[in-house]
Amino acid sequence: MTNLRYPSDPAHPAAVTTHLSPSRSPSKAMPMPRRRDLLTHATAFLSLATLGVAGRANATPAAQAAPLAGADAAQFIRATGAEIVQVINGPDPEPVKTKAMQAIVDQRVDVAGIGKFCLGRFWRVASPAERAEYESLFRQVLVLNVTAKVGAYKGVAFAIGRAVPREEGVMVATTVTRPQNAPAEVDWLVREVGGAPRIIDVVAEGTSLRVTQRSDYASFLSRHDDNVAALISALKQQVAQAG
Amino acid sequence: MRAARKPPLIAPLIVPLAIAFLAGCATAPPASHKEARAAFEQTNDPLEPTNRVFYKVNDALDTAILRPVAVAYTHVVPAPAREGVHNILGNLATPVTLANDMLQGKSRRAGTTFMRFLINTTLGGLGTVDVARRLGYPAHDADFGETMAIWGIPEGPFLFLPVFGPSDPRDALGQGVDIAGDPLGWFGLGTAVTVLDWSRAGIGGIDARSQVLGELGPIKRTALDPYATFRSLYRQHRRAEIAKIQADHGHTVPAWFPAPAAQ
Repeated sequence: MTNLRYPSDPAHPAAVTTHLSPSRSPSKAMPMPRRRDLLTHATAFLSLATLGVAGRANATPAAQAAPLAGADAAQFIRATGAEIVQVINGPDPEPVKTKAMQAIVDQRVDVAGIGKFCLGRFWRVASPAERAEYESLFRQVLVLNVTAKVGAYKGVAFAIGRAVPREEGVMVATTVTRPQNAPAEVDWLVREVGGAPRIIDVVAEGTSLRVTQRSDYASFLSRHDDNVAALISALKQQVAQAG
Repeated sequence: MRAARKPPLIAPLIVPLAIAFLAGCATAPPASHKEARAAFEQTNDPLEPTNRVFYKVNDALDTAILRPVAVAYTHVVPAPAREGVHNILGNLATPVTLANDMLQGKSRRAGTTFMRFLINTTLGGLGTVDVARRLGYPAHDADFGETMAIWGIPEGPFLFLPVFGPSDPRDALGQGVDIAGDPLGWFGLGTAVTVLDWSRAGIGGIDARSQVLGELGPIKRTALDPYATFRSLYRQHRRAEIAKIQADHGHTVPAWFPAPAAQ
């Protein structure tokens, strides 16, 4: 993990310098390791799902037109993360927390943009009605995935690391810790959408939420004659089952 | 594991390949359908039909055996004891990690691994307690699949191996090399050693599975195509790990030494 500390990064003066030295899972299990890797992904994915949320418009009034500054993106994630932690660790009953998380997703995450990304090339072939239905279902599924684990994340804490400019926005590194779990590295990709910073991806332990989701949908579609309607009915089923 | 002495070690590599040839490969979309063809090539999973069979087998084994055993393990064995087991297993794996750190040309990482082994084997009571982590030597992974990646060998198509799970030719070969190269597997013959080897493998599997009891289920439940989701997660995670090693320019040169030319 020392990579986060190596000195050759003068390129990003905006970097927030809380250095992360996440003492990684002390594991190093056995050559059963494929298994263990899987696990790591799993953990990552989860943190994603649960924390893959956020966005606070009031955090920093970012300049119009100018690309989002690293410090602003970091501040945005700091504020968003604080809010999530407050909700998860708060005393409210679960339904109230679920509502609060839902509000955070809607305010801080570019749900429509992520949804479009996840549909990939099929977005163009979908009819306007299908797009609208897909967007609404995608949001519901995302919210469900995020809120489903609120209980399990009690005691969660996070620390902000570097903010590094990327092609699509600013990647803000965080280390997420929760009791009984190895610390997880979670990176947040933030971009200005409609004049305010929004989260457009969450990358946990190297696995991107939207890339993973897109390959899931793509594979599903390729096994269902590339039929977007089939995807929509599968999503409907997911929502119904969870609901 | 080295537990899987010579023949079982090779089996996971050969069996899926052999079956793949018998079972046939995935059918590529026609070249006229450019986007579908591009997507197919990007997925790079020509053995998908076979891989899916093994995914199903592994999933069934997991549901029937591994997961219940891991659940029982977490119920029966108290958390501190489990952590001790986890640490011991990690410590036993450090020789292989050290060798790979060195083969990757990462002196700082190798130094960290070496110190971890020294400290944890002694102060840490034969690895039971991860003292080194608190002393500033956090654990990291290094396997021969990653080493080959650092050497520039491509990952190749996706493979889903029986028992071992998601992989690719490079990682599968790397796994075999790590097992064969584990010094703990070199000495001693006879029943006692074999029993110990297999125990380490078995406990390693249970330990690894118990680490993600709360995680795999939700992924399987929320994915429309769990196989494709695990395939994507595996590759992304491996690539990130390799990128992390490549970006690790920590060195052991003293601070007063003129900065090295690289980066």
